[in-house]
Amino acid sequence: MNSARTPTDWNAPAMRRRIRKRYSAERRFKAFGLAAVVLSAAFLAFLLVTMAWNGARGFTRAEVALPIDFKALALAVDRASLSTPGADLALSGAELENAVKGAAVTAFGPGGDALISGHGWIKVRDAVKADPSLLDREAVIQVPASTKVDQGEDAAGVARLNGAGALSRHFNSDFLSQSNSTDPMAAGIWGALKGSLMTMLVTFLIAFPVGLFSAVYLEEYAPRNRWTDLIEVSINNLAAVPSIIFGLLGLAVFLGSWELWGHSFGPLMPRSAALVGGLTLALMIMPVIVIASRNAIKAVPPSIRDAAFAVGASRVQVVFHHVIPLAMPGILTGTIIGMARALGETAPLLLIGMRAFIVTPPGSFTDPATVLPVQIFLWSDEVSRGFIEKTSAAIIVLLAFLLAMNGLAIYLRNRFETRW
Amino acid sequence: MTALPLLLLIAGLGLIGWLTARGRAAGFDRGGAKRLHSLPGQHGWYVALWTVVPALLFLAVWSVASPGLITQRVLEQPAAAQLPAFDFERGALLAEARRVANDPAAKAYDPLAAELAPAMRAAQRHYGWMGTIAAILLAFAGGAFAWSRIGATFRARSRVENGVMILLLVASLIAILTTLGIFLSLLWESLRFFEQVPFWKFLFGTHWSPQVIDAHDPGASLGAVPLFWGTFFIGAVIAMIVAIPFGLMSAIYLTQYAAPGVRKWMKPILEMLAGVPTVVYGYFAALTVAPAVRDLAVMLGMPFASSESALAAGLVMGVMIIPFVSSMADDSIAAVPTAMRDGSLAMGATRSETIGKVLIPAALPGVVAGVLLAVSRAIGETMIVVMAASGAATITLNPFESATTVTKQIVDLLTGEAEFDSPKTLAAFALGLTLFVITLLLNIVALSVVKKYREAYE
Repeated sequence: MNSARTPTDWNAPAMRRRIRKRYSAERRFKAFGLAAVVLSAAFLAFLLVTMAWNGARGFTRAEVALPIDFKALALAVDRASLSTPGADLALSGAELENAVKGAAVTAFGPGGDALISGHGWIKVRDAVKADPSLLDREAVIQVPASTKVDQGEDAAGVARLNGAGALSRHFNSDFLSQSNSTDPMAAGIWGALKGSLMTMLVTFLIAFPVGLFSAVYLEEYAPRNRWTDLIEVSINNLAAVPSIIFGLLGLAVFLGSWELWGHSFGPLMPRSAALVGGLTLALMIMPVIVIASRNAIKAVPPSIRDAAFAVGASRVQVVFHHVIPLAMPGILTGTIIGMARALGETAPLLLIGMRAFIVTPPGSFTDPATVLPVQIFLWSDEVSRGFIEKTSAAIIVLLAFLLAMNGLAIYLRNRFETRW
Repeated sequence: MTALPLLLLIAGLGLIGWLTARGRAAGFDRGGAKRLHSLPGQHGWYVALWTVVPALLFLAVWSVASPGLITQRVLEQPAAAQLPAFDFERGALLAEARRVANDPAAKAYDPLAAELAPAMRAAQRHYGWMGTIAAILLAFAGGAFAWSRIGATFRARSRVENGVMILLLVASLIAILTTLGIFLSLLWESLRFFEQVPFWKFLFGTHWSPQVIDAHDPGASLGAVPLFWGTFFIGAVIAMIVAIPFGLMSAIYLTQYAAPGVRKWMKPILEMLAGVPTVVYGYFAALTVAPAVRDLAVMLGMPFASSESALAAGLVMGVMIIPFVSSMADDSIAAVPTAMRDGSLAMGATRSETIGKVLIPAALPGVVAGVLLAVSRAIGETMIVVMAASGAATITLNPFESATTVTKQIVDLLTGEAEFDSPKTLAAFALGLTLFVITLLLNIVALSVVKKYREAYE
């Protein structure tokens, strides 16, 4: 039977118009997709560039070459004490701070003491400690300028210092070696960074073994029953619990008071300490490590286990001598990614009190400490303009650490991962 | 003795046990049998486990129990009779005495605390040494017991393997314990909160101002509806208006159009958006985005626009969420059978028609699940809203006005200087419980949708 339909005339104007329309819809759609990808990437680039732009100056600071005539000052300092641990006390007792201010007034005229940082005399103190012979002569010592000079807000002061040829900009080593301070010129991130490293150590020591062992149990030992399902459901849900909830958990369990058998006791742990922060973060990233480790263990082919069993290895020998070493690259990759997440985490640590103003780096795991992201948060609240640069510079340091960790994870995955 | 040297000492004892037992097992008389049941190393592990595990378990229990014992001993002092009967002040005084006892350089503000400090120090030392000696004795006793049992016919391997299995099981139970711990601690504190504030007033009250709490009716200023609205508005509306189109379109472009080389590079770059710490996003939102949004609002004729607008926080949060939506969409599009796509293309449909009329409808459950997960992520997000959103709880539909969220209020309530039992502090736990339950429900729904959908094509 012949069809009554005529074949489509693809060259008819109506048909061509239709095809043109469909093709331009296609191009539009593709352009939307491309725009979405490009805009997302552009946002990331914009974020990074903004931080780099603001932060680059944060690694440097304006310094003033301050001439001081120690001989004329005749500070009442016992020379012998300068090599003892009591040197700091001896020098501040000798009114060094006022002497430095006086020297600034002598050098730059009235109001000269406002041109140098309030912490400037500490540089002088360190210089004298390093070289006591300075006390007998005249010397020029580099001290940090005041925040207003550093930020260029005090144009007259900048002009005065430039006129004296005393102003210069240098790499700010204090930023990496000092701790928090109320003066942006003297503030540094070392205290927070050390707190971060200690917290990470606690997190690793707890989350890695516990995560690895649970993954091994679930993959290699667990019978299929209700208990195992419960464990799996718990782990999957924990992975999706908002981080701030872990802060509430840490606050209630580690820092709250307990009542047992009519006795009220606690808190179990000191507030603000790296130990509590590390424990809290360990609970937070444990599911990440378990899930990654399970996938890595699952990827080890059964033939390896069978071969080991066939030559008489026991179950522990199979798992610990064969399966875990082969799965190790995947396990480590997951662990590093989890640790990177913990390193950037802020909210739970705010709740357990790691937001203290820390002037001395923590000496032990139970000392009050803060961490780098919390330091960034605290500085972002500061009114002084100098802290904007410091905040961005601290962000650059944090991002550099995270980038290095993620790079290491990618390297491990590419270098050691075996595909069977 | 402090914790670290003691732990090292116990570990050292374990090592000695391992070495000596292994040495002894190597010299066992085989008694005519060709092989021993267990390797010397397994005998070593048996002794080492018996040395270390009981001592560590004891220390764990002791570290929980000894503070109570110390307090009790201090309370037996004659000076302690002057302690106030009220629990809170009493606890504060004891805590101060403990602080002074731990740090001789510290000064006590209260003379009573200074008086109790030496007794506290003595009690601490007493119980500290008691624990140390007991732990070391336990280590020796455990080691000796194991040492007496090993022998040529002893099945050390089975024992050690069972011990290892119990260790692994205990490790995996920690996940359950954490979940339970979260739930119970939130519930416990919330129940204490609901003793003071009626449940319905909290859940349906529309006035939130925890700065001024009327002691007779704390519920009047603790109505959480404005917070729920702000959370929903910022996390589920504004953030999703950004994240869904961007995430979905980038997933489509990268899976359907992009050359493999472009995909290989762009995918990790987009995933970096999820790796940036939230405090960085928060700082960026507060420093760069919020002023720009306010300028825009002023330009649009709102001269009193807030510099802590819902829009600024929501926009940045949306950008942060893009990779989540994108990777979930990516997975569910990839899970659509190729035959469906090829069939559509073979019928003459363009690629965009195939995507819009075949792939997306087929992948829709997965995409919806991804969006639900993204919403749960967004409403639990804290730092962006803490730094960029306002603390004023208003119910508004205008994105240029300020709005606050549950997470922001939790942080504000708990970082103030309120004591642990006040309705303010407890309100944070009630908010936390609400947040926990909502995110849990979202996740359960999303995961069940994904599971069902996966089964449909398998």
